[in-house]
Amino acid sequence: MSTLLAAPPGTIPAPTIEYTQLAPMMLVFGAAIVGVLVEAFAPRHLRSAVHVPLTLLSLAGAFALTILLAVDGTRNVAAMGAVAVDGPSLFIHGTILVLAFVSVLLFNERLQFVSQAASVPGSTEEEDSLEEGAVQTEVYPLALFAIGGMLLFSAANDLLAMFVGLEVMSLPLYLLCGLARRRRLLSQEAAVKYFLLGAFSSAFFLYGMALIYGFAGSVDLAKINDALGSASGRDTLLYVGAALLGVGLLFKIGAAPFQAWKPDVYQGAPTPITALMASGTLVAAFGAVLRVFWVALGNLDWDWRPVMWGVAILTMVVGAILAITQTDIKRMLAYSSIAHAGFLLTGVIATGGPAQNEEALSGILFYLVAYGFTTVGAFAVVTMVRDAGGEAGHLSRWAGLGKRSPLLAGVFAFFLLAFAGIPLTSGFFGKYAVFAAAVSGGATPLVIVGVVSSAIAAFFYVRVIVLMFFSDPAPDGPTVDVSSMGTAAVVAVAAAATVVLGVLPQPVLDLADAAAHSLFVR
Amino acid sequence: MTTHYLVLSALLFSIGAIGVLIRRNAIVVFMCVELMLNAANLALVAFARMHGNLDGQIIAFFVMVVAAAEVVVGLAIIVTIFRTRRSASVDDVNLLKY
Amino acid sequence: MELYAPILVLGLLAAGFAIFSVGIAPFTGPKRWNRAKLDAYECGIEPTRQPVGGGRFPLKYMITAMLFIVFDIEIIFLYPWAVAFDQLGVFGLVEMVLFILTVLVAYTYVWRRKGLDWD
Repeated sequence: MSTLLAAPPGTIPAPTIEYTQLAPMMLVFGAAIVGVLVEAFAPRHLRSAVHVPLTLLSLAGAFALTILLAVDGTRNVAAMGAVAVDGPSLFIHGTILVLAFVSVLLFNERLQFVSQAASVPGSTEEEDSLEEGAVQTEVYPLALFAIGGMLLFSAANDLLAMFVGLEVMSLPLYLLCGLARRRRLLSQEAAVKYFLLGAFSSAFFLYGMALIYGFAGSVDLAKINDALGSASGRDTLLYVGAALLGVGLLFKIGAAPFQAWKPDVYQGAPTPITALMASGTLVAAFGAVLRVFWVALGNLDWDWRPVMWGVAILTMVVGAILAITQTDIKRMLAYSSIAHAGFLLTGVIATGGPAQNEEALSGILFYLVAYGFTTVGAFAVVTMVRDAGGEAGHLSRWAGLGKRSPLLAGVFAFFLLAFAGIPLTSGFFGKYAVFAAAVSGGATPLVIVGVVSSAIAAFFYVRVIVLMFFSDPAPDGPTVDVSSMGTAAVVAVAAAATVVLGVLPQPVLDLADAAAHSLFVR
Repeated sequence: MTTHYLVLSALLFSIGAIGVLIRRNAIVVFMCVELMLNAANLALVAFARMHGNLDGQIIAFFVMVVAAAEVVVGLAIIVTIFRTRRSASVDDVNLLKY
Repeated sequence: MELYAPILVLGLLAAGFAIFSVGIAPFTGPKRWNRAKLDAYECGIEPTRQPVGGGRFPLKYMITAMLFIVFDIEIIFLYPWAVAFDQLGVFGLVEMVLFILTVLVAYTYVWRRKGLDWD
């Protein structure tokens, strides 16, 4: 007994949390929690009026706090090494917050979201709720939780925080996918598919994390990197763990061969949610990919690079070729998103010395901003072209849109050209920055594949443009709904961003350079 | 000693992964995913013992909570689609395709 | 050995209390007969016939079960804190209160939205 009592109790130093450095994230999560309280206590007719300003103000506030942090110049790891506050993470946070803000402007619970998620489609219960004018305003807090998860996912400095961020981001998105007002069966099906495949992939991520922990004895990214150097005789754990971790992450960015969920989910989900996923989730997932492969597995690049080459080539080719066969506008944009993930992966592969890494990182950051704005704009246009039964998804319905509504069709054509990477659009400089980094990083064959698949994709974009401007509109064609100020504003902002980044990219390029300058903190 | 736990964990993970791929009922598929998560938990705890630090055990706690949240979200989604279609077979989920 | 004495005493106390309660009940409690008391025990509710092929349960069970799981599992974080709460001091306490408040927000949502009502 005496020996037991005499043993010194293990002292645990109290951890510290740098609240100011985590302020953007905490503001978003705090607003989400307040949103849940609003759902609980506010009367039904007031909820929407509280949610919209609350959501938008918290995102704007978080963006302002991110700017303050960036200006302040602190670069370290906060919350006992769980969250990195460095140039790339601040840049990515700013990007996510702006893209989330414009995506939330697209939210319109009376037009796009289900009146009562629990009612069976086609039932009298559903009719009652529609007549009653019920709305499912939970979409706002759910979106805020997802956005907070994106912030954590992209800035996590250890694998546990990254896993938690991944799940906090994904779980609300699974639900949001199933909440479309029209074509509810399609929407629910998208939710089931996204959920089952997403849970499957996060199980891979988790097992990879467990094996890496077994190898390194820690899940801290920097400590994993340190452990790479020491020959511990547990290399099998490392290689299998890295591969499983990669599967989980590549699933989230929608890289081939893990791209199958993307078209289904993008098509079935309510379009504002698709916009949020196509922009915010992609940016966040690339933040995480960079952190895992550059910070944790940076010294292992000779081993993962050949695999990444294959994945990048497959992703670009699959995305570009399958886009051609699509007849639904949202599916087509989904395949385009897959191809863009492939282009971005060429940047991830282009590692080398510090200067090379900076160039590649800066290119990726700029690409993410450029692509994010264009894709939100494109999905915003999709929400405006409506049939009696909701959005006109089928491409044949878009025929002659240029004659019916030249301005909107022109803007959409411009977005498509930006996806293709035509000069004077933001897409051109994005591709240029990433491909230039890839060439100087010795990945010229990849760039050739990238340029060829860009050309294949451009063929399809041009086909849509021809369809819109040079064929006759159907007599019962879709109408263009310009009633929503928010949506119109999003299209305008996205178009402006696409032009400005295409004509005067230098300020944002400089910003990306500055963010990439110090690389990742360790 | 750790090896035994790891072999068991890898077996559980494989059973789960194969189950996800071959089973047709969404609930069973989902249970297989949970099996994979638990396999990871076993590995984490075994490694925590091997390394003599507590990180792995704490991570296992987080995984349990995340798994519970996933159960709630997943069952909600599966029940919704079941009520719509009177079927939880993943083969019937076929409206979205090329 | 003496280290286990408190456990032994606790066990004896618990057993004694159980035996005392069960033993005294026939003498002190009221005796009202009803048919349910003679049925097989099924979680305190009246047993229902097993439907053919396993049958389906009403969704009410599922919602209650899900809510139970989600609130139950949150408690897992209280255990590590409870083991070391004296060393973590005020910081640990504040963080735990914040955590429980967050869970409470979810609870109020469930409560206000009638998630706890059985019918």
